[in-house]
Amino acid sequence: MRHVSDGVLRRLQEEPYAVPDAAGRHLETCGRCRASSGQIAENAALASRLLAVPPAAEDTDAAWARLQRQLEPAARRPARGSGVPRFPRPLVNVPVVTGVGLTAVLVAGGVAAAATLTTVFSPTKVATVSLSQGDLRAVSNVLGLGRGPAAGSPSGGSGTQPLRFGTLRWSSSGQPGQVSSVARATAQTHLAFRAPARLPAGVGSLAAVLVQPQATATITFSKDIAAPVGGTRLTVSAGPAMMVQYGGQLGGGKVPTLGILTMRRPVATSTGATTSQLENYLLGQRGMPTDLARQVRLLGSPGSVLPIPVPPGATATHLRVHGAPAVLLSFASGAASAVIWESHDGTVHAVAGLLNRQDILNVARQIG
Amino acid sequence: MTSAVAQPPGTTTAAAFERFFREHHPDVVRIARGVTGDEATAQDVAQDVFIAALRRFPDPRAAQHAAAWVRVAAAHTALNTIRGERRRGHRQVLSGIDVPRAGPEEAALDSECRAEVRQALRRLPRRSATVLVLRHSGLSYAEVAEAMNVNVGHVGTMLRRAESALRKEL
Repeated sequence: MRHVSDGVLRRLQEEPYAVPDAAGRHLETCGRCRASSGQIAENAALASRLLAVPPAAEDTDAAWARLQRQLEPAARRPARGSGVPRFPRPLVNVPVVTGVGLTAVLVAGGVAAAATLTTVFSPTKVATVSLSQGDLRAVSNVLGLGRGPAAGSPSGGSGTQPLRFGTLRWSSSGQPGQVSSVARATAQTHLAFRAPARLPAGVGSLAAVLVQPQATATITFSKDIAAPVGGTRLTVSAGPAMMVQYGGQLGGGKVPTLGILTMRRPVATSTGATTSQLENYLLGQRGMPTDLARQVRLLGSPGSVLPIPVPPGATATHLRVHGAPAVLLSFASGAASAVIWESHDGTVHAVAGLLNRQDILNVARQIG
Repeated sequence: MTSAVAQPPGTTTAAAFERFFREHHPDVVRIARGVTGDEATAQDVAQDVFIAALRRFPDPRAAQHAAAWVRVAAAHTALNTIRGERRRGHRQVLSGIDVPRAGPEEAALDSECRAEVRQALRRLPRRSATVLVLRHSGLSYAEVAEAMNVNVGHVGTMLRRAESALRKEL
């Protein structure tokens, strides 16, 4: 077969099912096309990062009403400086960006999901934090989760929850759900997805594509706390994310064997206290597990490290995927593994499944 | 919520245009926001686009390409807007407003990065900038092809060239 054209190589990055299978097969064996594909993928990822449009609340009613006003006959319209009323400008630009927060790190394929309390700003690399069930309970107690009734839905939408030192509010720009194709998920999340050209033995065809819109959690620290933490509003945004699941070759292919998660890195913003001040306040709370606090402090550069909780029974190995620091989690039985890394364009990737570590790494090195 | 005033002529036609507006306004704003990086400016662009669309397609049901047209118009109008930014200077006057003190370096870098991207888009050929904006605002290859009136197989090539050009501009 002739070499794959640049246009097809570009489309393979995002709509792999829309190009002929022969192109994918050629790519597997042709070094020249793979090199071109890599360069195209880099440029695409850069453009995606620079041009991606974050979701925003859309008030179509207000926009329609405004259009109606503009279409009013001039005689009925009050005099204005210009013919076209302008949209009101925000009075204040983006708040000061610093941060500490609770980051939920999703790991696909039913392997693990956990959350930890640590510093988040705009992380550029991953690192591990060992986390026991006791640590999770202790962090929950420190936060005061469950102190009062939560209002709203925890699974989506929005809600509030009183905390020991303030209030937690969360909201999502939409409901999570399944979509019909990778292309649709890409369109909704603005995340690029490169399907692995070769799947490990035992992994079946694509089974489901899920999307999670961007979710935002805001902690407002009580004004009773001493300055500068008191009154600070800390906002953590995570997502959007997309999860592509592949079924197994047994059980009618319904049981997910491999999951590939792609998400925008979480970002935290604070209106007052700095990263270090918030970190010191939170880690200094009575009841915070000493070892967990020590691990978080040892991470250093609190604004640039995404902590990956290591669940009990898992072994963490540090390695690199496409040159980026990665964490490989594996279980002694070898029945499940996961690898998590953040690529240079600010996208967090997780590949997880009921596979051994070598198979998981083979998949990871084909994407990202 | 159809207002009693300023309807386009003919009630049925007016309702059709309102449906068209409600269906496509979010996409138009998103495309414009991708170029301008600013919600308020994107809303202004969307208003201008739909006013032009109303003149061009009073009854969008009869215009097969009206949806594609407003998307490309959003990209072009937004690109025109940022091309005029330098001449107009910054509209936003911040004096007297309680602006948060300078934040971390990353915030400044982010702002700087957005400005660089807008400059790069200004310098790119119009067609390249348009395909970049349409695709990265979330339109599928098929939608970009329809909007730009090209074969869907050509979108990948246009996109590849445009992304390569963008990288060189940065």
